[in-house]
Amino acid sequence: MANFDKINRKTLVNTRNTVILNVKSISKSYGKLKVIEDISFDLSRGESIALLGPSGCGKTTLIRIIAGLIDDYEGAIECKVQKIGYVFQEPRLIPWKTVIDNLKFVEENEERIFKTLEALKLKDFANFKPSKLSGGMRQRVNLARALIIEPELLLLDEPFASLDVHLKVSIISDIIERRKDMNFSMIVVTHDVREALLLSDKIYMLSDKPSSIIEEIDVSNVPKDISNPEFHKVESQILSKILGRWIG
Amino acid sequence: MHLENLWKYLTGILVIFITWTVLSFLISSQLILPDPLMVLKTLISELRKSEVLEALVITLSKIGVVLATTVTFGVLIGFFIGLNDVVYDILRPCILVIQAVPIITWLALVMFIWGIGWLGPVIVSILSLLPHTILSTAIGIRTTDKRLIEMAKVYRVPRSKVIRNIYLGSIVPQLLSALQVIIGNVWKVVVVAEYMCGDKGIGVLIAWARQSVAVEKVYAYTAIIILIGLIVENILNHFVRKFLKNWELV
Repeated sequence: MANFDKINRKTLVNTRNTVILNVKSISKSYGKLKVIEDISFDLSRGESIALLGPSGCGKTTLIRIIAGLIDDYEGAIECKVQKIGYVFQEPRLIPWKTVIDNLKFVEENEERIFKTLEALKLKDFANFKPSKLSGGMRQRVNLARALIIEPELLLLDEPFASLDVHLKVSIISDIIERRKDMNFSMIVVTHDVREALLLSDKIYMLSDKPSSIIEEIDVSNVPKDISNPEFHKVESQILSKILGRWIG
Repeated sequence: MHLENLWKYLTGILVIFITWTVLSFLISSQLILPDPLMVLKTLISELRKSEVLEALVITLSKIGVVLATTVTFGVLIGFFIGLNDVVYDILRPCILVIQAVPIITWLALVMFIWGIGWLGPVIVSILSLLPHTILSTAIGIRTTDKRLIEMAKVYRVPRSKVIRNIYLGSIVPQLLSALQVIIGNVWKVVVVAEYMCGDKGIGVLIAWARQSVAVEKVYAYTAIIILIGLIVENILNHFVRKFLKNWELV
């Protein structure tokens, strides 16, 4: 199994330059209100990007367009992968089903379910209903549901917004670990610079409404460690840019 | 039922009996309000008669048919209507009109078509209770959490699985509350329909008792219906509460 994983990962790394998602000149309006204006970017296999923008700038709208939840938009999306996992802002678990049944709703392979439950430290809660879980646990199940399908592309829509720092760090670590194993591509929508830095290789800074890309920052070489001075340096630089653009 | 609640329940019944006895004493006319003891004696003697038991079985069978038909068709039609906005908007006024038609109108129409017999009361009862079941189910479907449907769409979950796991689950609370309303009303509706257009059953016995001015029998037959109704309603409420608790909604 370990050998297979290695071979699989090697294959994926070799295909890293393959573009799996092509977002072309996306614009979206709600009536007269334009929320997204001419956003374009590519996502390669195994790559992770963050869409960093102020609250309410249209980030969620953009990720919903990519996920196929919004049809009426201008531009084009070319997605070359089938398996898309989506970690929603709120867990969206079926309240009358247990954790395991919520997972079975999207994937019936029991071996995969138990493997994911174990990896995300949810095994002991398999037969709990969502109302019996803490907010952090529910969000972990939300993540488990996205990972269980073995996604080629994982979309994260501010999934840590309602969590405290400890839970946030714990779940981010889980995502980083799973990505090392599974090598999925990832799009993270966030307004938090630290989250963006920890989870992505590239950050697209978005303007306020109508949202457009104002800067592309390569952070692939930044160590994913919040105690590292280099991490703090880059974080400060981005924060200064934000202060200059969003506020100033 | 907890011991404390049982005590309160029995006290309530005792209050009814005392009030009834006092009113019967004040009115002092067995033709208007016979005393509870007399009604109780009549009730016991009537329950020993085979024709009364037969009438009770017939009424219960009608109630069973009405419940099964109403729930089956109500849920199926409600489900279909709830899933489609256009169909819901078109059919909702029709269902509301059917719901607003007085039971007496249905009775008259049914008597014109089928005359007096077993079918009339069943049809009238179904027509009276079906709209509520349809609308409750449809509302349950329409109020299904759209975020769950979106989640299913992202994960490309087959439609049949979404219907089974999300829509059906969502209508459970509405369906159970509709069932409580139906169970609470079905006794009254069936007995009234029997009274007007039935050939056998407790309603028919009440009609005969009225004709022969046997007021104590009217009260005794009514007591039978109330007793069975209360027992069934309490059992159902107990299970509904238990079920909903497991459903994580109460």
